[in-house]
Amino acid sequence: MAISLSKGGNVNLSKESPGLKTVKVGLGWDTRVTDGSGFDLDASVFVLNETGKVRNDQDFIYFNNLSGADGAVVHQGDNLTGQGEGDDEVVMVSIDKLPQDVARVTFSVTIYDADARKQNFGMVSNAFIRVVNADTNAEIARYDLSEDASTETAMIFGELYRHGGEWKFKAIGQGFAGGLGPLARSMGVNV
Amino acid sequence: MSISLAKGGNVSLSKEEPGLTQILIGLGWDTRATDGADFDLDASAFLLNEAGKVRSDADFIFYNQLRSSDGSVEHTGDNRTGEGDGDDEALKVNLTQVPAEIQKVSIAVTIHDAETRRQNFGMVQNAFIRIVNDATGREITRYDLTEDASIETAMIFGEVYRHGADWKFRAVGQGYQGGLGPLARNFGVNVG
Repeated sequence: MAISLSKGGNVNLSKESPGLKTVKVGLGWDTRVTDGSGFDLDASVFVLNETGKVRNDQDFIYFNNLSGADGAVVHQGDNLTGQGEGDDEVVMVSIDKLPQDVARVTFSVTIYDADARKQNFGMVSNAFIRVVNADTNAEIARYDLSEDASTETAMIFGELYRHGGEWKFKAIGQGFAGGLGPLARSMGVNV
Repeated sequence: MSISLAKGGNVSLSKEEPGLTQILIGLGWDTRATDGADFDLDASAFLLNEAGKVRSDADFIFYNQLRSSDGSVEHTGDNRTGEGDGDDEALKVNLTQVPAEIQKVSIAVTIHDAETRRQNFGMVQNAFIRIVNDATGREITRYDLTEDASIETAMIFGEVYRHGADWKFRAVGQGYQGGLGPLARNFGVNVG
């Protein structure tokens, strides 16, 4: 069953999809047709402990660190322009392989070099980020970045978190000023 | 109180102005005083379907084709020198008459004969696009273009688009170095 979450909503994945093993984060956008620097959007994932910090720098998975959380999170590669249909960047999270000390997995999207290029999500056509139950291909949540984060340059999209013995997903949709560096630092990454 | 948009920003015209039926899209600019040929900036509108393309060349509204076939979009005429304060060129859109398959009306400004006259948007200042409730004269929103656009000769100022049941406006401010040709072609217009 497809669930589509709005901002602030949460869903109990263990109840909705018992036995859920893998979650896919998909980021997509259109290539730039007008003049100027291309739009380079980046998906990143922070694997956090109970204090909301990464256990080590390997748990910050992004275009320069494609695998973390002991192999449970895998980024399928950087897309610099948005070339291609559908999801342009994909990160796979194997929930069943997440180590016990992992309490949360936070998903975010940033525009590379946004300040220098003077870009925001509103300038990009059809930019979205979504979370999909990779076992069934059902979409759990989707965020229209071009429309609803239009003057932002970075956004915390949502997070997987343990609640009792179960995994839940919460849609956050909160903008973040300053870019990936400050965002990563706030999660305890040594940048 | 008119809402001032930043580049990339958007606003719901329907929510700001319940009962809105017809809008006036006003465009204005100052051209820096220079020797040489006059600046002739032309406003145009592209009626676009869901794929972001015109249905036919009749969906390209400009100084030589002042009305859309259904009358929903009307260009109020060519201003060849930029004389006059306020809106230099304007388009009227009757939102209730825009065909259902048209998802977006993209508003562009191009510099006529830019290459021969060696002109570009870097020479244009205080450019703006504003949306007015044509029935009341109230300005709903405006976008003041502030970027230095030194190589572009054609610029999409903004777009009026459907979002669910509402009409919204987005501040675009992105352009093309090559001028009207690439801009129109991008929208599927057959350009000679």
